[in-house]
Amino acid sequence: MPEVKTQAFRNSSETALKNTQLQQALKRAGTGFDGARRQAIDSVGAVNWDLWRDEARKIKIHALENLDYYLDLLEQKVTENGGEVHFAKDSEEANLIVSQIAKSRNVQIATKSKSMVSEELDLNKVLEKSGVEVYETDLGEYIIQLAEETPSHLVAPALHKTKEEVALLLHEKLQVPILDDIEDMARVARDVLRDKFFNADMGISGANFLIAETGSLVIITNEGNGRLCTSAPRIHIGITGMEKVIPSLQDLGLFLRLLPRSATGQHLTSYVSIVNGPKRETDEDGPSEFHLVLVDNGRSRMLADPELREALYCIRCGACLNICPVYQKVGGHSYGWVYPGPIGAIVSPELVGLKRASDLPFASSLCGACKDACPIKINIPRMLLHQRHKLSESTDVSERNIGLTGRLAAKFTGHILQHPKQLSITRSIIRLIQLPLSNKGTLKKTSLPILSRWTKNRDMKVIAPKSFRSIWQTELYKDKD
Amino acid sequence: MTEILGTPKDDFLASVRGALGRSTPSNPSPPYFRLEESLTDLEKMEQDLKERLLIDHDQRINALVESARATAWNVNRFPNLEEATSYIADLLTTLGVQHAVRSNQSIFHQIPIDELLNNLGIESAVIDQNGAGQLSQTQARQKMIDADIGITGSDYCVVETGSVVILPRAGLSRLVSLGPPVHLAIVSPQEIVDTLDDVFLLRRLDYLRNGGDMGSYLNFISGPSRTADIEQTLVVGVHGPKEVHMVILG
Amino acid sequence: MNHSQTNITKVSLFCTCIIDQLYPEVGKSVVNVLRQSGCEVDFPINQTCCGQPLYNSGFTRESKKLALKVLNDFEHSNYVIVPSGSCAAMMRNFYLDLFAKDQRNLTRATAFAGKVYEFSEFLVRVLKIEDIGAKYAGKATYHPSCHLLREIGEREAPKILLDNVDGLDLVSLHQAEYCCGFGGSFSIKYPHISEAMGTDKAENVMATGADSLISCDMGCLMQIDGLLSRAESTVRIRHISQILDREIHSAGS
Repeated sequence: MPEVKTQAFRNSSETALKNTQLQQALKRAGTGFDGARRQAIDSVGAVNWDLWRDEARKIKIHALENLDYYLDLLEQKVTENGGEVHFAKDSEEANLIVSQIAKSRNVQIATKSKSMVSEELDLNKVLEKSGVEVYETDLGEYIIQLAEETPSHLVAPALHKTKEEVALLLHEKLQVPILDDIEDMARVARDVLRDKFFNADMGISGANFLIAETGSLVIITNEGNGRLCTSAPRIHIGITGMEKVIPSLQDLGLFLRLLPRSATGQHLTSYVSIVNGPKRETDEDGPSEFHLVLVDNGRSRMLADPELREALYCIRCGACLNICPVYQKVGGHSYGWVYPGPIGAIVSPELVGLKRASDLPFASSLCGACKDACPIKINIPRMLLHQRHKLSESTDVSERNIGLTGRLAAKFTGHILQHPKQLSITRSIIRLIQLPLSNKGTLKKTSLPILSRWTKNRDMKVIAPKSFRSIWQTELYKDKD
Repeated sequence: MTEILGTPKDDFLASVRGALGRSTPSNPSPPYFRLEESLTDLEKMEQDLKERLLIDHDQRINALVESARATAWNVNRFPNLEEATSYIADLLTTLGVQHAVRSNQSIFHQIPIDELLNNLGIESAVIDQNGAGQLSQTQARQKMIDADIGITGSDYCVVETGSVVILPRAGLSRLVSLGPPVHLAIVSPQEIVDTLDDVFLLRRLDYLRNGGDMGSYLNFISGPSRTADIEQTLVVGVHGPKEVHMVILG
Repeated sequence: MNHSQTNITKVSLFCTCIIDQLYPEVGKSVVNVLRQSGCEVDFPINQTCCGQPLYNSGFTRESKKLALKVLNDFEHSNYVIVPSGSCAAMMRNFYLDLFAKDQRNLTRATAFAGKVYEFSEFLVRVLKIEDIGAKYAGKATYHPSCHLLREIGEREAPKILLDNVDGLDLVSLHQAEYCCGFGGSFSIKYPHISEAMGTDKAENVMATGADSLISCDMGCLMQIDGLLSRAESTVRIRHISQILDREIHSAGS
């Protein structure tokens, strides 16, 4: 498992906010991607778009409700196609499966197209340890690999890097001159990776969708690396979360309409590749072996919780990241693990441990923009509330994060709020404290507890001389008529 | 290889089932309607599709030209083979092609591509193991890596998305349209369908008709290779072709 | 009170903690506007909090007690008018989650939810009033609060009301639907992020050249005002009721 830094959210986010270049990159990507998404939805028409979302959600609900059935069917069909299906309950098992296949097939070079699940497993490190050269081939992932960093966005992994940083990176790692033109940089990557594509023994891909009906794995890409990873080597391993399966090939069109538009505003990516097992005997080329590795790694726990199950409907488009005002300020790395943004705030804690990632469900204003943007209408705010509920009140101590002080404070607040007279007394006390510091009803900087943090950069309203309820009692209760 | 790597299937499925609150396997109730569709059902839908495709055929081709151009195909349609052939010859000359690879598809019985290439002095190879003068796999691959252009027909062409669909098989390599920096796809009118759903219907039909097999692979190609991974700036021609050309006969 | 009128609508006011304690003048305008619109207003005097802050912090047990208190305090009401999209959303949507496993109270909460309206929503959707006859000389911009927009789903009512205010020059706000960064406890737990979001909002507000910022939620306005005021901006915050209140403007504010 890659290093978990979810506990460092507060520090990471503070650093991120001070990083002006990151802020610029986030603004560019956020408004760019989200703007393109809105345009794409406008051309489709809001009513149609909403109908598509409803239909897609229905299919996902059904597929996950019957996940055992569809995984069984998928396995049968993939096997009939000549492929092999392997089931991995956790990351150790998944890594073992892939390394054993690599070892027994004498794999020396592996090329990889995007797979978020493989990040969960830290698969590259495991393979490299067993002597396999692994090359990320998606340009953004390749840049991240060279930089020895983790992706900061689901769809644009290197969005936090300026072109100058990329140029320097290529110069340092590949001994090419420092380039100025982005096209030239892409060409460097193309030339390096082209050689690897055609010499690789094994290609590893993720999956955007799995089709139970026909035993198919579907990947959508723009660069062509997905096609090369799944066509050029002699072995193809598709590794993915088990929740990706949809029932029928006839369902795929709908999802292909929703995903690219939601991600980048494109009508369709340059390539959609559907893999139905290894090459057939009469094919000109293609892998002679196809392995599908289906990974659980904590997903069955989300499946079991009716409040969290819909997190598994996610199609990893990144629309929630692009619209999230918090993500746009703190960036992907602040979330401290594989999955950033709103969906990451739910999934990462579930997969690494809620207590370890206790900031993530709270670091949201619950504005709901993610819910609006999600093509599957996943109710992210509701799930965040559910996780907050677990952190504050779960009877399971491995989940509950709040200490005695916190619980007492909540009880105390609740008590005051149930008793109007006590509330009035409290209000008077606070007003008395605030009054000497008040400047025409406004509090400027103060070092009073709680108020000090608010007033560091914001003015604060002082408690009014009379509460509304007392004004009601003395003046308003009678209509002037 | 039959050794079990990872968790045995039954155990894995039992764990999923347990998460769903069930202890025994059960089928979805009601069953999913798509998986209940029989060959007859699909054939009926195919019939409807065919009838639909007969209507407004010329407008359909125009719509395809538009949607393909919108996704950065260079598109031209020609009313006859002569004009198409002449255009292709000009295109290859303009591009300065010296080495070409092509698939072996029936379209090349209509378009005299080998003669054309020969006349232009372009060295070319047919990527077809069963064809005459066939290359070894390694030689074929090297040809596709080194070629300036890859020429194919199309299996389907989708108006909705401006896509050429390729079904790799004997005579149609996966790499012919992917290795070289330029891809030329020659489209016949009868390959044109309206939507993604049309393609999937037809594939499902093939799947059932062939006893549960629709071939190893399927590619939708909707324009050149692209990326915007560096500063969200668009670059064309990353790992796949930088230029894609569509010639429609009709 | 003119009892011979047959079109009197009896409503109960839930004033919200923020208005009760910090912005009572807004509560006054809400009552005025409701009365100007032909309503008879009652104010259950024992009301306190809808329970949202505790709920959002995950304390459902404490929140439930406050929710039950609200159900009790407003048992007799025909309509519960809430001058806050956020409190209205709590009562209409999240009480149903709170009581999901408590069948008896779920029934009560469901019935109650049907009576809850945000203030501007009530004027336009129930009273069918779009032009209240208000006047306001000035340039203003409108910030749609997140819960009003996305939980209550009311995008148009405030704009309809403001469009009909005589003399009001309403200018559009850039990135209007972006969250202001308040989010209740979020603004104290993650103040650095809250401030960053709020600063963007405040800058967008100032860029409109408006003299007033209007919204339907005082939480948002308090947050944005905190930043505007610290930046020494002259932009004033106004709850929508204060723009519509004929008593303020006829008095020549």
